[in-house]
Amino acid sequence: MFKNYLKIAFRNLIKNNVYSFINISGLAIGMAAAMLIALWIYDELSYDSYSRDKAYIAQVYQSETYNGIVDTGAAIPRPLEFALREDYADNFEHIIMSSWNEALNLSYEDINLTFSGNFMQSGAPDLLELEFLDGDENSLEKLNAIMIAQSTAKALFGDEPAIGKTISINNYFNLNVSAVYKDLPNNSSFSSVEFIIPWEALIAASDWHKRVRDNWGNNSFQLYVKINPNTTMEAVTQKILNVKKDRSKDEAEFNPQIFLFPMEDWYLRNNWDNGVQTGGRIENLWMFGIIGVFILLLACINFVNLSTARSAKRAIEVGIRKSIGSQRRQLIFQFLSESFAIVVLSFVLAIGIVLLFLNGFNALASKSIVFPWSNLTFWLSALVFIVIMTILSGSYPAMYLSSFNPVKVLKGAFKVGKNSSLPRKILVVTQFSISVALIIGTLVVIDQIQFSKDRPVGYDKEGLIEVFTLSDEFDGKQDLMREQFINSGGVVSMTTMSSPTTDVFSNISGYNWEGKPEGFQEDFAFISVHYDFVKTLGLNVIDGRAFSRGFATDSSGVILNKTAVDYMKIQDPIGKYIRHNNPSTNVKPYKIIGVIEDMVVTSPYSKVKQAMYVFDTQSSMNFYSLRLNPKNSISENLLLIESTFKKNFPNTPFNYQFADEEYGKKFRAEERIASLAQVFSALAIFISCLGLFGLASFVAEQRTKEIGVRKVLGASVGQLWLLLSKDFITLVTIALAIASPLAYYVMSRWLQKFTYRSPLGWDVFVIACFGAIIITLITVSFQAIKAATTNPVKSLRTE
Amino acid sequence: MSILLSLNEATRSVNSGNNKVTLLNNINLQVKEGEFISLMGPSGSGKSTLLNCIGMLDNFNGGGYTFLGQPVHSMKEKKRSMLYKEYIGFVFQAYHLIDELTVFENIETPLLYKNVKSSERKALVADMLDRFNIVGKKDLFPEQLSGGQQQLVGIARALIGNPKLILADEPTGNLNSKQSTEIMELFSELNKEGVTIIQATHSEKNASYGSRIINLLDGEIVSE
Ligand SMILES: Nc1ncnc2c1ncn2[C@@H]1O[C@H](COP(=O)(O)OP(=O)(O)O)[C@@H](O)[C@H]1O
Ligand SMILES: [Mg+2]
Repeated sequence: MFKNYLKIAFRNLIKNNVYSFINISGLAIGMAAAMLIALWIYDELSYDSYSRDKAYIAQVYQSETYNGIVDTGAAIPRPLEFALREDYADNFEHIIMSSWNEALNLSYEDINLTFSGNFMQSGAPDLLELEFLDGDENSLEKLNAIMIAQSTAKALFGDEPAIGKTISINNYFNLNVSAVYKDLPNNSSFSSVEFIIPWEALIAASDWHKRVRDNWGNNSFQLYVKINPNTTMEAVTQKILNVKKDRSKDEAEFNPQIFLFPMEDWYLRNNWDNGVQTGGRIENLWMFGIIGVFILLLACINFVNLSTARSAKRAIEVGIRKSIGSQRRQLIFQFLSESFAIVVLSFVLAIGIVLLFLNGFNALASKSIVFPWSNLTFWLSALVFIVIMTILSGSYPAMYLSSFNPVKVLKGAFKVGKNSSLPRKILVVTQFSISVALIIGTLVVIDQIQFSKDRPVGYDKEGLIEVFTLSDEFDGKQDLMREQFINSGGVVSMTTMSSPTTDVFSNISGYNWEGKPEGFQEDFAFISVHYDFVKTLGLNVIDGRAFSRGFATDSSGVILNKTAVDYMKIQDPIGKYIRHNNPSTNVKPYKIIGVIEDMVVTSPYSKVKQAMYVFDTQSSMNFYSLRLNPKNSISENLLLIESTFKKNFPNTPFNYQFADEEYGKKFRAEERIASLAQVFSALAIFISCLGLFGLASFVAEQRTKEIGVRKVLGASVGQLWLLLSKDFITLVTIALAIASPLAYYVMSRWLQKFTYRSPLGWDVFVIACFGAIIITLITVSFQAIKAATTNPVKSLRTE
Repeated sequence: MSILLSLNEATRSVNSGNNKVTLLNNINLQVKEGEFISLMGPSGSGKSTLLNCIGMLDNFNGGGYTFLGQPVHSMKEKKRSMLYKEYIGFVFQAYHLIDELTVFENIETPLLYKNVKSSERKALVADMLDRFNIVGKKDLFPEQLSGGQQQLVGIARALIGNPKLILADEPTGNLNSKQSTEIMELFSELNKEGVTIIQATHSEKNASYGSRIINLLDGEIVSE
């Protein structure tokens, strides 16, 4: 029986090849899109899935309140470790202090390379679930050990055994390789831990670290924990919430809250808004999940519409089958099995499409997804998916077609009722509402990105490079290097900076100034710079002046950004002082010598943070900022700079970055989202148009005789075209009226999350609506004009 | 001979707008097994309606209808469908073969609905093809056949389930006279083999093949 059904289904497919093509290609494209989205979501969800004990691992986070605004982050003070070990140890299997993941220069013989890694306490291998290939997994207990990833070992030693080799770190101290571990997977939070150095080695090597041992106010470290299986994250958080507040009188005013941020949330739910967890990537997952469902729905709608539109053709068959003994449920089963066959066919095609475009998709989404051939869950979900698609697309047509009365249809008096096209019209409106809303949404996202890209950044980011000077060997050589760089001809100006132009590495508080409001809890971005800061970056001084060699006192000067002046509520800032709260420290007061226009440093979507730019007297520099010589090509300049660098620091890797590229990276996540959204909304409109094309050709076919008669009576091609197109245009216009306010509502809410946001203008809506109408016209006109230009004698004869 | 079916004051009416239109009025009819009845009457007199109601594709909405002793008028849809699947075969003026199926498959389809096993189906269909001399056409599609050949297939399909009753609604209406004669000869032969036949026809000549002629006018039996 089933075989018989499939045979009919197959012959029908061949006979009505245009409709079959529309149905199957629409479904296949929709399913392929949904499959790609599902694979993407699965990949995102499987971030950190290598970790078996994920449910017990957390990072200790801190929220503090400044002027009523809660700031949440991973940075914690050193004494927190001791407090947890002393009073809360029984909650934890591991308490592991860690530095930030930082880049260090690792040298072996004449190989100098930069890797990123952490200084961590000895439980790290267990918490990171490292798989050791060689060496001693407990070696973080030793002071002079370094554990390295397999790829690090390969880069430094090639095929030689790594264990026992001595590596020089930043040309400053030496460590012996004690273990080699397998690289952590790319899609994991610790993937950039390319080496681990014992935490104690960091403490031993640095006076500064020893000094802040009991300083609750210095939030410069990270702390990872693994909790005991007999407790929960929430329970531990409840216990440690006020540990800092209770122990530090000075910090209590900022209401420090210490809590566990579970590993399971690190990747997907890492957004904090005023102390509240507000999602993160998970929102994109939802968004694309919904888009995927919508696209499938569009494809199902095509299927439903084309099947019911063409029901007259199937009616006779239904009548015959009923007259020779078929029951209705057998017919329902027949039509469902036809749908099933089509869905399966489309699914196979969809897999083909996915395989074809997987590389491109990976590039677009910056993923490395492989097709899960051997994943049983995938195939089971695929099966469920096929069944759902069959029911979604096949059940209405099956119910509808099987309901025909055999006496009526066989008499040939069968006429589809006047209102039978109403459900179809509603579905077309639904389709276009969804597609147009997606298009508007995508346009708004693109607009917002472009708007933020066009934002004035306050400095000249083109032709500016930043050379990493992370180790101590650069100390005190600023003036020498400036002279040499300029003499090389590759550079016209140089300064040094403690943070790059695209990030803030440190913040400070605890200062006082004339007119500081009572109880004001200040918090500044704090950047150390050098001579020629203003000149090199191309900043705009709006008050006062830049650091100058002509004033010896400028070494204790400070330049503020405009936001800082407003923030401090300070009148006539130039010449005034910013003093440390504690007069007993021997920190000199900073004298305000200049005000610059705001520099966009962190997020291009947020407000610029108040910043203090001080003169670097402590060797806090991490970068040389170099203004390239505009007379040379970039590559010429780079060659000159590198050779100058190598002459002075032969054993240090020459690492640099372009300021404009770094700035561009800030848009990457959003651009990725935007390009994915573009692809999927384009697919949505394409699938909708496929359906419309099918319906248009159906209508043209159905009205062949009418068109013939009208033509004989003297109707022009234009009039006939209008006759056939106007219904569709009406439907699409209704869809536009539904989609626009809907998209407006959703997208204006989306824009709320950006402080610096594009005004949601009417232009986006006009473009989308105009585009939709044009696309509809093109789609529909093809059939309309074809029908209108057919010789009427021919079309009349077909009846 | 035993009675195959009997109609007792059977009525069929429809509501058209506010009017009640009576299509068949108080039909009394007994059909014995082995009869060959010709229904005659002008177009619109209700011949097709009567055939459809007897064939259970349509229902009377008044009076009684008994088929093989069972009251059809009070039967559930499913039971009725079982009954006609088992005992009734239809032949249509427009043949009504399924375009997407071959001759073989068209004839086979009723057996599928009766859940006959595949091997048995093959044998039965092969017999039927043989009997009607259309073995060579078994893999052709309806559009590749002449009208007479299509009607042969239609009759073969009606016969495949071995029905007691064949209902034929103007079976030769679309055929030329030579083809018509062949089809009517075939009906006589089937009738001789014991199949009860009721045919609707306009043609006196075709009607004369029957053993009994019933004249309809405006939904009523006017003469026998
Ligand atoms: N469902 C219906 N609604 C209204 N009138 C109908 C319906 N079915 C049949 N008729 C009418 O009933 C009459 C009998 O039709 P029919 O049985 O087809 O006649 P015949 O087969 O003798 O030509 C015709 O006038 C026809 O128009
Ligand atoms: Mg008739």
